[in-house]
Amino acid sequence: MPIRCILHWQPNQGTVVNSQVLNEISQCVETLNGVKEGRCKASLTFYRPNLRDQSVTIDFPRDFLGISMLELPNKYFFIIRGQKIVLEADSSILLIMEKLQSYKSKVALNFEGVLYKLGDFQIRVIKVVPNQAESLRGIMVEIEYLPISSIEKSKQIMEEFIDIWKEIVAKKSLAGQFMHAEPNYAEYGLGDNYTSQHTAVQYAAALAQLIQSAQVRN
Amino acid sequence: MFCYLLQHVEALEILLQGLCGVQRERLRIHEICLKSGPHLGTVASEVRLLCDLEQSEPSWSVRHVGGAMRGAGAEQVSVLVRSMVESKTSKNALRLFYALGYKFDHELLRVGFSFNFYRGAQITVTVASINKMLKLHATDEAVPVTLGIQMVEVIAPATSENYTEVATAMSSFCEYLAPLLHLSKPGVSTGVVPTAAAAAAALMSDGGGTTL
Repeated sequence: MPIRCILHWQPNQGTVVNSQVLNEISQCVETLNGVKEGRCKASLTFYRPNLRDQSVTIDFPRDFLGISMLELPNKYFFIIRGQKIVLEADSSILLIMEKLQSYKSKVALNFEGVLYKLGDFQIRVIKVVPNQAESLRGIMVEIEYLPISSIEKSKQIMEEFIDIWKEIVAKKSLAGQFMHAEPNYAEYGLGDNYTSQHTAVQYAAALAQLIQSAQVRN
Repeated sequence: MFCYLLQHVEALEILLQGLCGVQRERLRIHEICLKSGPHLGTVASEVRLLCDLEQSEPSWSVRHVGGAMRGAGAEQVSVLVRSMVESKTSKNALRLFYALGYKFDHELLRVGFSFNFYRGAQITVTVASINKMLKLHATDEAVPVTLGIQMVEVIAPATSENYTEVATAMSSFCEYLAPLLHLSKPGVSTGVVPTAAAAAAALMSDGGGTTL
């Protein structure tokens, strides 16, 4: 499948992300003659162990995450970032987890986006919002290059596009910037050919960055 | 429904080939049973990871098997009814469940063949030896748990609305196997079928043309 890169918005120290920033970013896409094609959505759920003895939480992963994507309704992804594990499963895995009763969902976040088409690229402008709430927690932009599936082969063109994107955003003089930190896919056992598992890993990494920035600001 | 088969495996295969009308599929499934570690979950839980070694690229799935249906409804059907949920996964399932706090309990390797066909219900018949590994996960060094014994299992998916019809279809099908073996609910002893030797001889000499 086509390669994607995810950039997350890092607000400047002392500022917060808001819908005004989101609107300005959407306008940047329109500056590039991006055409609205539809919507996209992913949901991320943090899981915590169901423990008989609360003192042993240290023995269990603190970063166990589940991800569903609207574009793949029959799939579910699990990630444990600390141990670099990603698993793609049929969505029936959720029923299995429910029957096991060993983990419970704690916090859920939605990545809700608008999809734009720009020639060989697609851009998703994504707002990060808590499930069942409207408050904006973060902004991400997902850049997809349709002709190529190889991460290595698409590196140069992707970097060039990201540079152009950052320049356009910078002109808006917004209180922040887009950051891009590509995960080390090999650590997750993922290859050069891009897959949905790569996307899941990127979502988890971007979310970790958003959480870290929020913690630093607070 | 299931039973243990000591002999006449080849004859059974011929009989099944004739009854099912489909090609048999080879079976080589590595099943790893994991149990929740201490403290994890309000109740202990068990999950099975299955790796299909017959494919060119091993494929994994995760399975949860629930307890057997109990009560008057259960006694009225001649088959065991229990919930089962299965999910295909990518290859990291074992690493994930270990990281979540599940522990290795036991593993086995099923080697044999299966028939998957529709006859009133979608039925799968598997005939397989159950093998244990002498070293952890060493599927190339598996030995039979009990030499010479194969397990014959007949299963069919059902919903809570149609399980009695599915059970009837399964029982009807199993009657066709009666000359060779009697299948039963797990835990119910069946004994040897007296006609088995003669039936098997007929099947083997006739290559499947015999009507039993």
